[in-house]
Amino acid sequence: MLTAVAIAVDGLGFAAWLFLSSVGLTLIYGVMRILNIAHGGFYALGAYTAAWAVGLYTQTGSTIALTYLIIPLAALVAGVVSGLLVERGILRFMYGRDEVLMVLVTYAIFLILEDVTKLIWGTDSYVSYQPAYWLGTIDVFGLPYTVYKFLIIAVAIAVGAALYVTLNHTRVGKLLLVVIEDREVSKALGINVTLFFTVTFVIGATLGALGGALTAPEISVVPGIGAEIIVMAFAVIVIGGMGSIGGAMLGALIVGFSRAAFVHLYPPAELFSIYLVMAAVLAVKPYGLFALAESRKI
Amino acid sequence: MTTMCRAFLAFFCILLATLPVAGESLRIKAGCLFPLTGPGALYGRDSTVAIKLAQKHLESLEPFGYPQVDVIVEDTRSKSLRSLQIARRLIDEDRVDFLCGVVNSSVARAVSGLARDEEVFFIGTDHASPALTSEDLHPYYFRVNNGTRLSMRAGAKYIRETYGNRSEPVKIAFIGPDYEYGYQAWDDLRRFLQQQGTEFEIAGEYWPKVFETDFSPYIQSLLRTDADIVVNGQWGLDFVTFVKQAAQLGLFDRLQFMNFDAGGNYELLAELENDMPLGLVLSARHHVNWPPTERNRAFVEEFREEAGRYPSYAAQGAYAGILAMAEAVRNAGGTGDKDRIRESLEHLTLSLPEDPDGFRSKMDPVNHQILQVQAIGKTIFNNSFAPAKVMLGDWRIYYPPESWPTFKNGS
Repeated sequence: MLTAVAIAVDGLGFAAWLFLSSVGLTLIYGVMRILNIAHGGFYALGAYTAAWAVGLYTQTGSTIALTYLIIPLAALVAGVVSGLLVERGILRFMYGRDEVLMVLVTYAIFLILEDVTKLIWGTDSYVSYQPAYWLGTIDVFGLPYTVYKFLIIAVAIAVGAALYVTLNHTRVGKLLLVVIEDREVSKALGINVTLFFTVTFVIGATLGALGGALTAPEISVVPGIGAEIIVMAFAVIVIGGMGSIGGAMLGALIVGFSRAAFVHLYPPAELFSIYLVMAAVLAVKPYGLFALAESRKI
Repeated sequence: MTTMCRAFLAFFCILLATLPVAGESLRIKAGCLFPLTGPGALYGRDSTVAIKLAQKHLESLEPFGYPQVDVIVEDTRSKSLRSLQIARRLIDEDRVDFLCGVVNSSVARAVSGLARDEEVFFIGTDHASPALTSEDLHPYYFRVNNGTRLSMRAGAKYIRETYGNRSEPVKIAFIGPDYEYGYQAWDDLRRFLQQQGTEFEIAGEYWPKVFETDFSPYIQSLLRTDADIVVNGQWGLDFVTFVKQAAQLGLFDRLQFMNFDAGGNYELLAELENDMPLGLVLSARHHVNWPPTERNRAFVEEFREEAGRYPSYAAQGAYAGILAMAEAVRNAGGTGDKDRIRESLEHLTLSLPEDPDGFRSKMDPVNHQILQVQAIGKTIFNNSFAPAKVMLGDWRIYYPPESWPTFKNGS
């Protein structure tokens, strides 16, 4: 019973983190057909900015409660600034090029962002545990969990719901679906496709930064976290179907629960578990669980 | 001039050219590989400072015939391929007499293989995997920092002394990094416990990846076990992350936490400051507050003056490495005869700051691993070494065996 509870809570917590970190990636792919490896860089920028800002703020001795405002603000600043710079400065000159070329371009951007984080924050680790400590822990069937973990789960659900509503029940969302379906027709209808691309990319980057920023109080922020997350995020969106937000949610849950199950039941195979699940899903559904082979879907 | 005279003159000229000029000291060229950026960079930076201290020490010994060591330090970034490229360049272009350093055991294994192929001495100063001194061992590899095996031997004795009188077996859970170092540490601990007849049960084994940022699922799993002790094999930043997350989830209130190899490193105590819980059983390969000898105090203070901070244990390893090279070359009479240098290294004894009074670190001639004293302590409040607020105290001291311990299967 205790094992099941541990798997359920840890799996949900891990899935929430994965979803927040990968949903921007799948959004950008769904709209722009760019497999954005630089997403790991946005995640790292968000984590570093949040950890640094929280550290700076807590040194003043002011109330910790404000850090819950600082974290999303840090993500917003990191995501919007870096997203705009990357999209306006580099990617807009590449639209329409081969998808493989875009992978190489975004990989190069990722490497640049990795070095940018090192230039700004150095190579030492940043820890900003205060927001996670401040909320304390709660016992779930005798096992202590940080309340902050449940906060991340709540934020992940909120982000997923907000994206679903925006895309399916608002005018902007419907216009976006038109852009996804046919860029040329959209332009002919007077839709500003370039603006949609820019906004989508910035939102995707900000979501990546938010994933990093929210996770920062629970981890040590170190060089290399961007590379770690991009591998996981790709596994998640490949399982769920690239370009599908519902798929990203399902993929995150599958990877999250399988990792938690392996940690608690058979720890030596934990790292292998993610790839095992991905291989198993792709063997049955080569385009992922939610994606159609020939059409774009979001 | 007869042919005989010309030949004699030529021979005399060659002899003059090869002899050192009177007063010119013998010089050694060493290439040291350390991570200077990224995780583990502090160990590299501390090693670099310690190398300077060792060079200064050797300058003072020059009148006694000690050679001076010129050192090239390169940044490995803890990457095997990069380390191999650097090591190859140091051998081929810089023509170093010795390779030295390396923090990560996996990187060290790669560099050690190259040293074997190129027949260049590699003095390991900061990695600890027993594999390098057992299945990977070759005539050109020597290690001058305490190995994990001796740490685990001391740890097994500590567990026996603490829990040996109980009627039921002690339950041990292990969590260590998912690479060769972690597996070797756990394997050695179990074997020493078995060897000394300690009854124990394994309550769980966990292998998070190196540089893991979120240990919480493992901590939850540890909390579900009925273990008496959790033995931890993390080092560096992984240890800091683990302790912070485990403290938050109350692990230290439920289980006795022990880390025998690296957890008591000063750098970690300084990083954790007030977040370091009291009562943890930790050790390291060098302590700034043990042994309480004048030599150790002087080393620690000299380091602090040079670097502006107290040394991590990596500093002691690098310091010992430079002294070991100098001692070996001095005894061998130069860098030309590798067989004599090897013989000298195999019978090396060194007086180091980490040695307690009356003890000298000595090389095991068979396994090429230096044998040193291991001190295990408990975390207690002590703010004498700022920024650390908690230091180790309540020491238990374990002298090394006469020779490198091996197990029945020969490993």
